[in-house]
Amino acid sequence: MAVRETNPNFMNGVPELLILRLLGQGEMYGYEIVEAIRSQTGAVITVGEGVVYPVLHGLERNGAVRSRRKTVGGRSRIYYLLTASGKRRFAGLQKDWSSLAGAIQLMLTGAPHGKAIR
Amino acid sequence: MAKPFDELRERLLTAGVAPRQVRRYVTELSEHLVDLTAEESRAGGSRADIASRAVARLGGTDELATAMIAQRKFQSWSARAPWAAFSAVPICLLAAMYFVALFVLWSGWKMFLPGAATPFGHPVRGFEGLYFQFGRTLYYAAPVLAGWAVAWLAVRQRTKMFWPLTGSLLAASVGSMTQVQAGTAIVGGTGHIRINFALASWLQQVSYALLLFMIAAAPYLIWVSTLRKPQRKTSE
Repeated sequence: MAVRETNPNFMNGVPELLILRLLGQGEMYGYEIVEAIRSQTGAVITVGEGVVYPVLHGLERNGAVRSRRKTVGGRSRIYYLLTASGKRRFAGLQKDWSSLAGAIQLMLTGAPHGKAIR
Repeated sequence: MAKPFDELRERLLTAGVAPRQVRRYVTELSEHLVDLTAEESRAGGSRADIASRAVARLGGTDELATAMIAQRKFQSWSARAPWAAFSAVPICLLAAMYFVALFVLWSGWKMFLPGAATPFGHPVRGFEGLYFQFGRTLYYAAPVLAGWAVAWLAVRQRTKMFWPLTGSLLAASVGSMTQVQAGTAIVGGTGHIRINFALASWLQQVSYALLLFMIAAAPYLIWVSTLRKPQRKTSE
């Protein structure tokens, strides 16, 4: 089955938000992150898997994540973990995203998000 | 045969992404591809099908390149300001090598020729001769070495030909103008070593500068004309 990718116009800032959320649960490597995004979003969000690395490198450059090479089960991989600055960044992004999602929901249904899903 | 990420690597380097960043990206993509291939193998199919599905999931070269190139912070400093990089690097290297060469001359003068009015024109043999020869070789080779360093930087970062050639020409021009003077102003004085940048005979100066430039630029031009062509073909 052909993989249908998520419209990139709707993806601005989303990979960053999801990656920070996942890394808040513990250190992960790129493949693991992509798998987690796919399974936890019910495969609704799908991008070229390799695209996750520029996002991770950008977050590392900004000090939001740290990386280290670790060998697990005979495979050496680069693992990423969230920093204190990354936690603050995630909190800010989460707040922004929630208010944006609420506003869009309100626009679409005419009711606040909480009411709309009841 | 081209490796899986050769084209991507060339695209990124040509776009000015820092080589260190490119190396890391390609390493992580290779490791990711191994994981994807293992996952797709479990789903079954021929080896070609498995490889093709894994590559499709990883993303195409365009998509992978665009994601990295879009982040301007991964640009190398020589891609952001080549005019500064390819003029500052050869001049700084030249200055450093001249400093070492003059230090060798001065220290050799003090150690092996104490009391001599000048370090030049004395017969020196054995270790002393080698010591002075090292400094002399470094002094004469400095413009060429600076040109080679600039060429290496350009090859590594796939910089446009104009910049390394300009850097090499700059190093050759400065190198052709240098003159070293050493002596004591008074008998028994401490002595001094001075480096001057002077224009002697115009024709002689230009000829020497061109000779230095040709020696410095030759390896780079050979690389451009022979080794770089097959890489271009693979990306077409």
